[in-house]
Amino acid sequence: MDHLTDRPAAVGPAYRKPFKKKIYPYLFIMPFAALVLVFFVLPALATVAMSFTDLNASMKPKFVGLENFKRVFADYNLPDILRNTAIFAVLSLAISLLFALVISVATQYFLKGKIAAVVYRVLWLIPSIIPAVVYVTFWKYLFDPTEGGLVNRILLQFGLESDPVSWFSKAAMAIVILATVVSTISGGMILLSAAINSIPEDLYKAAKVDGASEKSVILKIIMPTLKWPLMYITISELIGFVSSYFFIMLLTNGGPMRDTTTLSLYAYQQAFNLKYYGYGAAVSLIVVAISFVLTLLFLRLFDFDEMIKPSRIED
Amino acid sequence: MSTRTLKQLLVHTYLTLFTLPIIAMIVWYFLAATLNFTTGQFSFENFSFFREPVEYAGVELPLIWPIVLNTLVYSFLIVFLEVFISVPTAYAFSRLDFKGKNAAMKFLFLMRSFPGITLIIATFFILVQMHLVNTYLGVLLVAVTGSLPGRVYIMKGFFDEVPWDIEWAAMVDGCTRYGAFKKVLVPFVLPGIGAISVFSFLGAYGEWFLFKLLIFNDDMLTLAGYLARLVTKEDQILNYGLITAIGLFYTLPIIVFYIFTQKVFMKVNLGGAKQV
Repeated sequence: MDHLTDRPAAVGPAYRKPFKKKIYPYLFIMPFAALVLVFFVLPALATVAMSFTDLNASMKPKFVGLENFKRVFADYNLPDILRNTAIFAVLSLAISLLFALVISVATQYFLKGKIAAVVYRVLWLIPSIIPAVVYVTFWKYLFDPTEGGLVNRILLQFGLESDPVSWFSKAAMAIVILATVVSTISGGMILLSAAINSIPEDLYKAAKVDGASEKSVILKIIMPTLKWPLMYITISELIGFVSSYFFIMLLTNGGPMRDTTTLSLYAYQQAFNLKYYGYGAAVSLIVVAISFVLTLLFLRLFDFDEMIKPSRIED
Repeated sequence: MSTRTLKQLLVHTYLTLFTLPIIAMIVWYFLAATLNFTTGQFSFENFSFFREPVEYAGVELPLIWPIVLNTLVYSFLIVFLEVFISVPTAYAFSRLDFKGKNAAMKFLFLMRSFPGITLIIATFFILVQMHLVNTYLGVLLVAVTGSLPGRVYIMKGFFDEVPWDIEWAAMVDGCTRYGAFKKVLVPFVLPGIGAISVFSFLGAYGEWFLFKLLIFNDDMLTLAGYLARLVTKEDQILNYGLITAIGLFYTLPIIVFYIFTQKVFMKVNLGGAKQV
């Protein structure tokens, strides 16, 4: 009934929403808002607060001002860790983007509609479906430092090496990047494939009639369509690589020494292994700052107000 | 025609090369679990964890069946919570007008791309203060909060697709706003609810990090946490047979589940796929 009276009222300024209606939308978002407040906003504030204290295993926090941040920048591990973070994030991103692009163009353009395309795509999805804890066992086996590991066994078999190579101490970062990339490719691949799939078939046919080469079809028709998905994947995967450390933790736990420790894993280790909670919070605040800059960049790229459709009726 | 065949052959060659490692990986899981590499004989001795508690590199873990039960209970609770919180929220963001909606929406987008993992140290302390460490409730609340923004975003997309006329028609016929939401809108967005349920389930089933951090009792673990304990115990895995056997037992149901639900992955606009 009431919506009928609402309609003319929405035009005239005299109508005022009854209190019950004003409160109504808030009931819908309340559980969400409460959770976000307690487990997102509060931790964010607490991280800032903790980073100014020397909170440690003794649980008697004392305000130390900027001491933690001074320590971070004087930390002799920092240059190495920043370099690891940059190498890990940039290389993982570049390789996974490249492969996602190649596979989605190959399956959605060259093999469009063929069974083989579906088979390839499903196989590529498997590494991201397999739970992380199971997935890493394969990589651990592949580069196992004893002669039982697959790579070592092959090398020994063909006489390329006389002793088993301890891969995890020689090329830990490469293994971590490889394992991360193989499981993240599929995410980008899904988005890119969907975008390529939305190109009307006529465009390809028109290009063929005009005698366009495959190269120009890819560069002039497919690539422009992929501009948005590519930007989206770049930023979101970059944020993920900078801040998350799940695979690293399972594969090498940051070792050997600190060869695969990224900044966010370092924060975790300082807090939960060494119990320097205050210091850990200060380090993770730096990760937060980096992610925040990336997030803002991300929101800049995608015109924000365009993304939010205004609701079209007054209730 | 022949250049065309050649091109196809080239594409197939490259894709096969790219895909070989993955096929090798799948084959290895089955072989490692069932084949004894030194004697070259097939056996199911690695699957003895069905009957007796696991002992591995000095860790003694409880029998697997209660863990399986934990996993199912935890996963379904996550699905339930995420659906029942995200659907009304998405509805409010898509359909209702309220003060601060724009700001809330901006915050939602910000939070969706913001890595919640960086706040884990402070989250841990808040849980300690609330006495929620080593309880399921703590893990559930943290896990749900982390994935909610993504679910709300997906659900909002589904609500935006439903024409207003349908809701209007229901209300003209005498439904209340809530009645229209429950009886008319929700059935329309069922595919969306299905999609977020699948995502939630997959996420919950694979969750090991929060269990490693927040749960200290071995008998409260889920399968992912159980395996994480075995995998991260030593730098180097000593008994691949046992771990892959448990891994297979853990992974196969999810692969089957995935095969039946994979269509939703293609339906969902995960954001940014099209220029909005």
